[in-house]
Amino acid sequence: MINHKHKMQYLSLIIPAMLLFSFGVILPAIMGIYYSFTSWNGMTPEIPWVGLDNYRNIFHDSYVKNAWVFTIKFTLWNTVLQNVFALLFALLLNAGIKGKNIFRTMIFIPCLISPIIVGFIWQRIFLNILPYLNILFGTDINFLLFGSADTVLSGLLLANNWQWIGYWMLIYLAALQTIPKYLYEAAKVDGASRFRQFFIITVPMLAPAFTISIVGITIGSLKVYELLVSATNGGPGRSSTSIIYLIYNTAINGRQYGYGSAISITLIAALLVVALWQLSFLRKKEVQL
Amino acid sequence: MYRKKLLILLLTLVLFMAPCLVFSNGQPDSKSPEKITLRVLAGQSTTDAGMEKLIDELCEQTYPNIKLEWDIVDWGKGFQPKMQLYMATELPDIMIGKAQDVATWGSQNVLADLSGKSYLEYVLPEAVESGSYGGKVNGVVFNALYQGVYYNKDLFKKYNVKVPQTQNELLAAVEIFKANGIIPFETHFADTWSIGNMTMQFAINDLFRDTPDWGDQFRAGKVNYVDSEKWKSIYQYNKLLFDNTWTDEAFSIQQNMADARMVQGMAAMKVSGSWSIQNFLDVDPDFNFGVFPFPNQFGEAKLIYEPNITFMVSGKTKYAEAVDQVLELILSNKELALKIYDQTKTAPMLAGITPTFTNPSQSDIDKYVAEGNIVDAGVGNNQLVWGGFQDENALDIVEWLYDPNKSLSDALTAADSRRENSRP
Repeated sequence: MINHKHKMQYLSLIIPAMLLFSFGVILPAIMGIYYSFTSWNGMTPEIPWVGLDNYRNIFHDSYVKNAWVFTIKFTLWNTVLQNVFALLFALLLNAGIKGKNIFRTMIFIPCLISPIIVGFIWQRIFLNILPYLNILFGTDINFLLFGSADTVLSGLLLANNWQWIGYWMLIYLAALQTIPKYLYEAAKVDGASRFRQFFIITVPMLAPAFTISIVGITIGSLKVYELLVSATNGGPGRSSTSIIYLIYNTAINGRQYGYGSAISITLIAALLVVALWQLSFLRKKEVQL
Repeated sequence: MYRKKLLILLLTLVLFMAPCLVFSNGQPDSKSPEKITLRVLAGQSTTDAGMEKLIDELCEQTYPNIKLEWDIVDWGKGFQPKMQLYMATELPDIMIGKAQDVATWGSQNVLADLSGKSYLEYVLPEAVESGSYGGKVNGVVFNALYQGVYYNKDLFKKYNVKVPQTQNELLAAVEIFKANGIIPFETHFADTWSIGNMTMQFAINDLFRDTPDWGDQFRAGKVNYVDSEKWKSIYQYNKLLFDNTWTDEAFSIQQNMADARMVQGMAAMKVSGSWSIQNFLDVDPDFNFGVFPFPNQFGEAKLIYEPNITFMVSGKTKYAEAVDQVLELILSNKELALKIYDQTKTAPMLAGITPTFTNPSQSDIDKYVAEGNIVDAGVGNNQLVWGGFQDENALDIVEWLYDPNKSLSDALTAADSRRENSRP
């Protein structure tokens, strides 16, 4: 039974956070929903109501379609690559290789850098540093990944994975270290190979970490923006324009605040659907494993 | 519990009494001038960086009670978003943008009318004219840029290439340079703004000089891009540059590197503006360069003059007097102005000031000015807005240039599709 005194204490702690959340998140979201039914340009006092026109236009807008295509490609590749390499590095470090602390630090450091800076770093790597290798070795490899619509996705994946693999590696490493060693010992006694040990012990025990990582990487990838600003400006042309980059350009630079709001509402809906589906699916898998 | 209550009471008393302690005898010190903080939004180009420090130093010396609180953004990417943000709350007291911003924000009736201000006497008549909109003086222009084809004079001399005045002469020059292993045009398409700028340069001479209200006609539905032979030609000029620049690096290289290559003799020409001079001279203070108008199909192109840094004032500033003091200071102080012009490598719009930086292109500029072969960039920029229109059109041009599945017609049609966004 919570007495009145404790209720007041709880309320005094909750209310400030609720106020901040309400004014900082809920209210803007409501306003965004409202604006999504308008053709407001973000500047004039008049806010013309257009009903569902913005939402109808989304489905006919090739720029929106192309932004989604890029974003989905980026997300899928990012989720696969980041999970695979993060897990691989975690397994290697967990195996107790020499210098593991140094390797862990080296792999983790990039995620402490702002994505904006990462974009600039890789821009210079592709433009100045790597091409010098061609001069040095007399080769003719195309390192200008950000300068072509055909290769810009690869370049961005390199940069993004370089930055974030270390973060997700730590998630997996922490999970690996919670697995009781006796399970492996028992399996070994029973004659299980390392390969089999991985699938019958490691994978099931890592299920929660898989859930966290897959959902986290997916949602993060769908929201990619900062990296694009500094690395490619959404280009060449619009070939690396993500849905969020498009929203910003449309609402702010393009002075189509209402239309941009509508696109952002669809993005939020998509994020919720993806997150809920992934959580539902992966939680079930956790139980099964 | 008693101690907690006592502590709370003491804190409350301290908070209550604190304001009283600030003033001796319960009254503010009438001898000290009021401390004022003026908020300044500065939309800068690469060449403008650092001028805020110069202004700050002077202001601190002259008006120690006035503090300038700067919000500095990249003009191309950040100025308009910031303005929109501030319009939803409160505009800064002073805004430093470009002359074309006067039309955009003046039309929103958010800028102060500076007509009759004493500091207008320090600037050239063109500075007031370029800052005027709808019968009001909504801005004061501080400097100007010249736009055209910047060229490596030494390369032109070496290969006996004369300055082209027609498209045929330009094409001939291109062939000569290519034959001698020189990249004809320096470009940096990775900076999409550069394509937008070049396109507007072409349009100013080919279209807006003859049809200064083309933008208005466009919005009225009387004309369009896809059926305009002039716009087709204008867009094609970009292809001419694309076909005669570095092969694989067109969308990778940014301005600094591209400008350096031209100085190093790797490229002969660049469709640009005065913003490249800073880079040129940083690479080689003795770089010998000139400028000429990009030859149009009619053979009578003019060098483009663009009013640049422009001071605007919020129509609702609470510190109008302090703002006037600051602007008076900035515009009247010749030493400050000289430092800024020499730093930005731009032309003065203040009367009686001659920059001291070395500008090999000045002789060319003076010639075109003397001949009356100068056109104001505002003729185009005041008809078609940059943010959301010109910049998006530039992206369409990029896509057309690199994507074999995109056509010129696609790019022009895309421009027509955003007609509603074209108003400055």
